[in-house]
Amino acid sequence: MKNYLFPNRFKALTGWVFYLSLLIGLYLWFTDQFDDLLVVPVPDFFSTGDFLGPDGFWLENGILDELLTIVIIVSGIIHSFSKEKREDELISKLRLDSLIWSLYINYTIMILATLLIFGLAYFHILVFNLFTIILFFNLRLRFVLRKHYAS
Amino acid sequence: MKNTIKIHRVTHDMTQEDLANQLEVSRQTINAIENNKYFPSLELGLKLAKIFSCTVEELFSLED
Repeated sequence: MKNYLFPNRFKALTGWVFYLSLLIGLYLWFTDQFDDLLVVPVPDFFSTGDFLGPDGFWLENGILDELLTIVIIVSGIIHSFSKEKREDELISKLRLDSLIWSLYINYTIMILATLLIFGLAYFHILVFNLFTIILFFNLRLRFVLRKHYAS
Repeated sequence: MKNTIKIHRVTHDMTQEDLANQLEVSRQTINAIENNKYFPSLELGLKLAKIFSCTVEELFSLED
């Protein structure tokens, strides 16, 4: 049956990349170093609300956060959606259940944050929410697969 | 839903691993099916019936 999963050979490497880049991202976030590293001119389409920006097309920007965002999302998705060594219909069901579970948890947190957290802190929660859905899914899937393989 | 897969498997002198290899699923999946923790798809049910040379109804039945 056709599915949209990646080959199993990607699983281990992308797992290391995902969790490592997540830790690096958290460290740089909490030490507030994102804007100081890898500063290069980037095309500025809409950063200040003006199309193409008020100061011209190019803008000096630390691109490490953009790079890490892409690395975390791509590696997280490939790691989470790589086939197991023997992918069968029960594992597909466990994967789907984990995805539903993580979606519920992620948006429950987001609703609570919407009701209880305001200002810049709320913006930070939204940024974390970009990654937590993949993280929750991944952790839940690892947990249920570990139980499955132990049975 | 209950099933008689374990009985058929033992009758055919097969281990869970043997059956899993024939069906291209994991041994744990066979274990889950035998213990009624997972209900297989129609495709897997038909494959099981073919391996044991019986009908799907002989393998699976609704509980009273």
